[in-house]
Amino acid sequence: MSFRMRKRIANLLTYLALCVIFVFVIFPIFYTFMGSFKSNQELLTSGSTIIPHEFVLDNYEQAWNLANFEQYTFNSVYMSFFIVLGTIITSTVAGYCFERGKFKGRNTIFAIVVSSMFVSLGSLTLYPTVMIAKWFGINKSLWGVIIIRVLGMNVTNLFITRTYIRTLSPEIDEAAKIDGCSFFSTFVHIIFPLLKPLIATIAILEFRHSWNDYMMPMVFTMSNPERMPLVVGVISLKSSGEAASSWNLMLAGTAISMIPMILVYMIFNRYFIQGMTAGAVKG
Amino acid sequence: MTARAIRSSRRISIKNDNTQAFLMLLPMLCGFALFTYGPILYILRFCLYKANDFKSSYIGFDNFARLFTRDGAFWDAMLNTVILSFGKLLIEIPLAMFLAILLNRGQKGTGFFRTMLFLPAITSTAIVGLVFSLMFASFDGIVNNILQSLGIISRPISWMGNKWTALEMLGIASIWNNFPINMIYFLMALQSIPKEIYECAELDGVTPWKRFWKITLPMIAPIAQVVVLMAIVGSLKVSDLVLASTNGAPGGKTEVIMTYVFKYFFGYSGRAVEIGYASAMSVVTGIFLAVISLVYMKVTNKMNQVY
Repeated sequence: MSFRMRKRIANLLTYLALCVIFVFVIFPIFYTFMGSFKSNQELLTSGSTIIPHEFVLDNYEQAWNLANFEQYTFNSVYMSFFIVLGTIITSTVAGYCFERGKFKGRNTIFAIVVSSMFVSLGSLTLYPTVMIAKWFGINKSLWGVIIIRVLGMNVTNLFITRTYIRTLSPEIDEAAKIDGCSFFSTFVHIIFPLLKPLIATIAILEFRHSWNDYMMPMVFTMSNPERMPLVVGVISLKSSGEAASSWNLMLAGTAISMIPMILVYMIFNRYFIQGMTAGAVKG
Repeated sequence: MTARAIRSSRRISIKNDNTQAFLMLLPMLCGFALFTYGPILYILRFCLYKANDFKSSYIGFDNFARLFTRDGAFWDAMLNTVILSFGKLLIEIPLAMFLAILLNRGQKGTGFFRTMLFLPAITSTAIVGLVFSLMFASFDGIVNNILQSLGIISRPISWMGNKWTALEMLGIASIWNNFPINMIYFLMALQSIPKEIYECAELDGVTPWKRFWKITLPMIAPIAQVVVLMAIVGSLKVSDLVLASTNGAPGGKTEVIMTYVFKYFFGYSGRAVEIGYASAMSVVTGIFLAVISLVYMKVTNKMNQVY
């Protein structure tokens, strides 16, 4: 068999394998979206078909108007917006201070912050976090989640910004200083505007994280269903006891929660993958 | 510090760069101390107490005694976590590696596949749990129907009715959700290998199989070490996937460690709130996670020294 022939067969096999995996990957998403257009009756009697007999928008209408999803969507947007905004500010400031600041104990503090990555208790720290939030009276609303996420110092973001700022030449800072900029105003007027590409990455990563987050918003809205974000709202339908009768709402809610994410992903695809890998290499 | 000392130090140094840097950092450091190390201190304190939402009393190491001698369910949950994590990683990591190699061939359309195959990673884990529990429903679930029409099974399987099938479902959902990010990491690692090495190998007539074991794998070993560690720790900490799909069904048999402890903290699904005991379990879990990471690093460290 000639070399070219072998190469062609290999290429063909590659496509074949990729297509098979592609079907497995797309199937659950496709199934969800198709399911969200089925009437409730169809969902309950013949969950076996993938394509609905007849497309109905009823589920979306019901979810939006009757099942409070309008409120949930608003909460999700609200929460994600403030988390993204806050995180951009805190992580760029932190990166800048750790990179350009020369205060005493900088390296020690940095090491302490980074070491928090290894003390990993995951969702086990949720309860104590809520208790601490309670002292400040922010345990009953999404502001608790927002404040904790924004001030909680994300190590990945910190690494990304610090490395990025290191690539900016220090002469810029010195020039600004000679022109009378203080440390703070150098950041505001010079460094921050230079961080635009990085800000896009951080914003997208943080949006993905806050939009998809379940555990933290869930425990903060346990006693206050009005404030639930989308993901929490959708899952809460499952444990509400009338699960069987609300599959249509759950599917419509799932679709509503996935659409913005997919759109953002399709538009900013490049930043997404860049950001996620940057965090891994440096983190 | 007295008020005057603060005032005088401020007069001297608010213009000082380093003071400004520190002041800019201060809000975040406070938040960090409060919300990252605060909870850990809280847990370390309360693991010695018997506590619920209203009252607490010091009981020494009783919580640990209870945990090690009388709570079989905790150890079952831990065993489940380990089985689930390592079981699914045995498939997930090779799959991710395989796909990365395919995507790295640079054929036409690779960009499309990379974009599409990454989709699961941007889906909320809780939502993945929900969707998969619908797909694997025992009555009229799509998976049962497909398997039946393909003739693989004759009667619908009750996926949630048996511990092992429920764990299989969790594993599949978790693989679906997590392989893309590992795939992208591996792809990135592969792209950092210099092309010349492969060209040399081709001149020497190395077979593709040998090329993978002798060149590709050793070259990406350092990154693979970190990626696999993150995958292990990440899957040992799985919680929302389980809460949103099986939630321990059937009868608490698929409870994983995080959900088990979570339920003691919050009294979720009708359990009494036992903060002290939950804290003790958290401490043990934290130590367990740290030990696994350390052992892993120790064992794999020679991977790093190949080149």
